Amino acid sequence: MAAFEPVLTRNVGKPEALSVRGYRQGGGYEGLAKSLKMEPDAVIEEVKKSGLRGRGGAGFSAGLKWSFIPKGKDKPKYLVCNADESEPGTFKDRLLMEHDPHQLIEGCAICCWAVSAATCYIYIRGEYTQAAATLERALKEAYEQGILGDSVMGSGFKLDMYVHRGAGAYICGEETGMLESLEGKRGQPRVKPPFPAVVGAFGSPTVINNVETLCNVPHIIVRGADWYKGIGTDERNTGPKLYAISGHVERPGTYEYPIGVTFRELLDGAGGMWKGRTLKAFIPGGASAPILKADQIDIKMDFDTVAKAGSMLGSAAVIVMDETTCMVRSVARLSKFFNHESCGQCTPCREGTNWMELVLKRLEHGEGTERDAQLLLSICKNIGGNSLCALGDAAIGPVKSLVDRFPEEIHQHVRDRACPFPKQRYFSNGA
Amino acid sequence: MPKVTINDRTVEVEAGTNLVDAAMKVGVQIPHYCYHPRLSVVGQCRMCLVKIEGMPKLQAGCSTPVVKDGMVVRTDVPEVAEAQKGMMEFFLLNHPLDCPICDQAGECGLQDYSFKHGVAYSRFQYEDKRTYPGRERIPLGANVLLNMNRCIQCTRCVRFTQEVTKTAELGFFNRGARTEIGTFPGKELNNDLATCVVDICPVGALTSTRFRFAERVFYLDKKPSLCTGCEVGCNITVEHRRGSIKRYKPRFNVDVNDYWMCDYGRSTFELYKTTPRLVTPRVRAEGGNGHSPVTPTSWKDALDAVARRLRGNQETVAFLGSGFLTTEEAYLFGQLADLAGSPHRSVPVDLGDPHTIPRHGQPPISGREAAPNRRGAELAGLAPGIADGKAMTGELLTSDELVHGDGASRCSALVVCDSYFSRAAYDPAVVERLRKAKFLVVFGWADSPLAQAADVALPVATHTEKEGTFVNVEHRVQRFDRAFPAQGQVRPGVEVLSDLLSRFDAKWANLSAGAVFDRLAATVPAFAGLSWHTLPATGAPLHLAGVPGDAIAAETAPGTGIE
Repeated sequence: MAAFEPVLTRNVGKPEALSVRGYRQGGGYEGLAKSLKMEPDAVIEEVKKSGLRGRGGAGFSAGLKWSFIPKGKDKPKYLVCNADESEPGTFKDRLLMEHDPHQLIEGCAICCWAVSAATCYIYIRGEYTQAAATLERALKEAYEQGILGDSVMGSGFKLDMYVHRGAGAYICGEETGMLESLEGKRGQPRVKPPFPAVVGAFGSPTVINNVETLCNVPHIIVRGADWYKGIGTDERNTGPKLYAISGHVERPGTYEYPIGVTFRELLDGAGGMWKGRTLKAFIPGGASAPILKADQIDIKMDFDTVAKAGSMLGSAAVIVMDETTCMVRSVARLSKFFNHESCGQCTPCREGTNWMELVLKRLEHGEGTERDAQLLLSICKNIGGNSLCALGDAAIGPVKSLVDRFPEEIHQHVRDRACPFPKQRYFSNGA
Repeated sequence: MPKVTINDRTVEVEAGTNLVDAAMKVGVQIPHYCYHPRLSVVGQCRMCLVKIEGMPKLQAGCSTPVVKDGMVVRTDVPEVAEAQKGMMEFFLLNHPLDCPICDQAGECGLQDYSFKHGVAYSRFQYEDKRTYPGRERIPLGANVLLNMNRCIQCTRCVRFTQEVTKTAELGFFNRGARTEIGTFPGKELNNDLATCVVDICPVGALTSTRFRFAERVFYLDKKPSLCTGCEVGCNITVEHRRGSIKRYKPRFNVDVNDYWMCDYGRSTFELYKTTPRLVTPRVRAEGGNGHSPVTPTSWKDALDAVARRLRGNQETVAFLGSGFLTTEEAYLFGQLADLAGSPHRSVPVDLGDPHTIPRHGQPPISGREAAPNRRGAELAGLAPGIADGKAMTGELLTSDELVHGDGASRCSALVVCDSYFSRAAYDPAVVERLRKAKFLVVFGWADSPLAQAADVALPVATHTEKEGTFVNVEHRVQRFDRAFPAQGQVRPGVEVLSDLLSRFDAKWANLSAGAVFDRLAATVPAFAGLSWHTLPATGAPLHLAGVPGDAIAAETAPGTGIE
């Protein structure tokens, strides 16, 4: 990879960036200052032009999302920053919040200015205690320095920002589940439409963006949409991207690359396979993304290419699996997660994720039948597209890919009446 | 108004109508569990999935409003049937399938939709069903029992307590496949409408302690009727087996009780079962100053005795009415009083606890009087001081005078129209006061102490054994059907009175309740234009211009109780 200068992670490992002064020395808050001199619509236009797509998983155009917020002053508007990063394998936002909180605050402030929101909530995952504390400190200082509060950087624009800690539910990362939780209710998704852009937090128009998405915004404003578009694969996949790499690699961690880097480069960057083992499969975008086989090693890791390959970039949490990995066990473990995290509201997700886990567990323990592969596909079909929110669709991703791409492994489990791979503890309780 | 096409049938609906309701208009049933017209839309049972042209995925019918022209919906395509089949399979995965011991069997949403949309075999063969040990029979309150194993998590009950009664005792706890319904700590489901959650529960998760194991629902005969618990006149269904009432259930009437009824109203039929019944006409032997023995007799002899006394009597005859009479009975009693030349007629007011039913788009309806038809009885001819349609002056023996004063001692004959005219009928002091009349006739279904003290006691039917009309607190006249015939010698009041009146004038012979109502409509201005056969199922408001203001109604104006 020819010298790519980190954008989002440039302040990682620089403790001085935790203070407003230190952040400013690195060019911080210039984007906010610049955007406050621009018309809000011009800010939206610039972000739209940059091609920035949501980094939370769905990959929806951020600028377009902002433009859905109705103009007019009859209702207050809100920005909710989705920092409820809970998908297994995903830990990129944590890095941004712990090492560069002001970058997020600046991004949030620019977004609020663009959509005329006077209040911003950063809904942070409950387990992220350190990130929450860092953000709280940064917010306090930002208020003291006049960056937030009654007059943002002396512009007269009033903006309040709060950190709201979740209580550890994956479903609160779903945007409407998050709003319910934020409002003090049981965190479960709402029926859409109406979409949050029309009826969101407290019944008002609300923008919901991921941490990484908002962290991109200051750079777009400072350096311009054209510079931003120059990074990445094509018109539809632009900008720098954080990849959270875990699993059987030598140096797991969060790496920044231009979007569209190949998986092989990612793997090499992370030190290659653990103990020099062979790659068997990888998940390109977090627990809900269908698993890809090793033959896809040269895939470009951007939204559209990964989607074309039958998976999704999602949150770009890459989980690498070597040849000792039992795919049935892995998928059973993922299913356990989705079953545990289903809110229980809608039927297909509540019953279907539970059933899938039971079937996979049975398969893994050598009690499966030849019909189980078809049964799993059928359950996936009944969940897919029929659930209230995206969690149901997320839960079927790995299961479908297991049946589609690793049928021989299921067959082996059934035939041998046991898992052919070395015994590892499967569930934390030893089951 | 936008047009929507559902299964090739086009209908114009109000903008914002959801697809489940719109489909109902063209006779297409979209199956649903969580949706209820009076509860917020949550779209979570996913049973109402439909295909909408131009949409990639199936959409939940309940949460899809018709907003503009041109929506084309299909519910009869294979993908919809597949989805419904899939949902039914999910519902039944962890359901105990204990229909043989479940109260809901026979009126169960799971059973019905399984037959219509489900499959007859299970693919859930190797795994254990999810259960909620120790949560099979949890009393949520005095009247409602929860069996969590049967629950399908539709949250209708939760939303009912949040949105209709606004008492919010119930909540959704835990998550995923372990999700359960329960009361919040320290709360009990004891609001006035608590048992309504049993009605709206589509499965057997919530059952009524009152009805539990009383009868298999498929053995029940059901007849439309009215609740007699108070003056609201909730529309109900009397559900009985061979004349033994098992339960009352609310019957939808948007102008009265909407979909609901109160728990007190549901309990009122128990009175018919626990109170000893008057079963044969009884007449006291002549002489002995009221202390001669009473003997069972035939209807002919009993009515002859009454007719003789009333005809030959030139002195004071008083009529103590009752709010439990049907309008038709009250009318005939009024005629009887006219024939006896008596202005001494009245209907006692029996104030009890208020019962309030929330309604949709209207203020709640509330009733404080314990009887269902005081207004109707007064309008039909038992209003004090009116004889032969003309107002009378002079001293009148009102119900107050009779029940609480010594008015009865001034009566040469006293006709008590209902042996259970109010709870006062069971007060020994009241019985003693009324007994002071020289001749005491008591009609009624209850063999109350008052009936036992009577010179002539006449067994008439309860309201479930007869048909008629009641006029409720808002002056709406509503008709009810006979649920089952009276047993033995007990006869409907209209039949008895028609028999009695025919002894004075042949024109009164052989009248049915309907014929009486039509005569009443022809003579009483408030009922003008109404007729028995065209009276709408939901009742009709009376014409009250010129009718004196109703002091009690003003006093019990809506707004009390549940808000």
